Amino acid sequence: MTPELTATEIQQVRQGIKDKYDRVAAAGTGGCFQYPTGKAGMELQGYAPEVLQYFPLEVLAAFCGVGNPFSLEPLNSGDAVLDIGCGAGVDSLVAAHMVGAGGRVVGLDVTPAMVERARASLSRLGLANLTFQVGAAEALPFPDNDFDAVISNGVFNLTLDKEKALHEAHRVLKPGGRLMLADMVLVTALPQDQAGKVENWFQ
Amino acid sequence: MPGKDFLALMLKAGFHRVALRRYTGFKSSPYTEGALFFGEKPAAGQTRDDAAYEAELPAAPITEPACKPGGT
Repeated sequence: MTPELTATEIQQVRQGIKDKYDRVAAAGTGGCFQYPTGKAGMELQGYAPEVLQYFPLEVLAAFCGVGNPFSLEPLNSGDAVLDIGCGAGVDSLVAAHMVGAGGRVVGLDVTPAMVERARASLSRLGLANLTFQVGAAEALPFPDNDFDAVISNGVFNLTLDKEKALHEAHRVLKPGGRLMLADMVLVTALPQDQAGKVENWFQ
Repeated sequence: MPGKDFLALMLKAGFHRVALRRYTGFKSSPYTEGALFFGEKPAAGQTRDDAAYEAELPAAPITEPACKPGGT
């Protein structure tokens, strides 16, 4: 839960995140993030050269992840994978490529505009084992024990109820299933004049 | 949220073998940096491993200039 935020602040956070990612969906990642994005960001995070060569540059340009979840452990052929907060779907596409035709990948994002952008990329590539849908990390629209792996990239830090989102990820994973995520964490204390500011949520 | 607090939430949610394996070098502010987390849902009958590993924070982050005013 987020007891430190008022109802008004929670609404401001949700609106700020929506506004930011509506802009990203419409105009791309340029100028929206303080770290490298697109193919350059993926190269720096060690995405496999084979993956970077397989996908069109225009698709990779939408990458705005904060790390490489696939560098933790490889996905297996045939795995069922959920990408929470898939954004424009770059990691979902990579996962679908990795698990192959016998696997299944679902990309989920709370911002309809980003899901539409992900679907546009999918239509270019025609991967039959991948779908995208709108939904929130705190209320995953899937049954228990449904996925072999849950991945996420730069999303849980934006989630207001992280505890609930993690419980949901645990619920939808099969026993023995893996959670592999990249996320922003606080590495030094915020100055007093910055602590608690609503803007910190979607910086 | 600091990485160790997120690891504690992962354990509370039921994951085991939780780890902050490494930092990614991507920073969204002077106070925040990307990190890679791993956790596993215990298999049936498996003994839980509740030890949490947390990597050291490395030096020199990789950054681009901050967003322009009016940007995001």
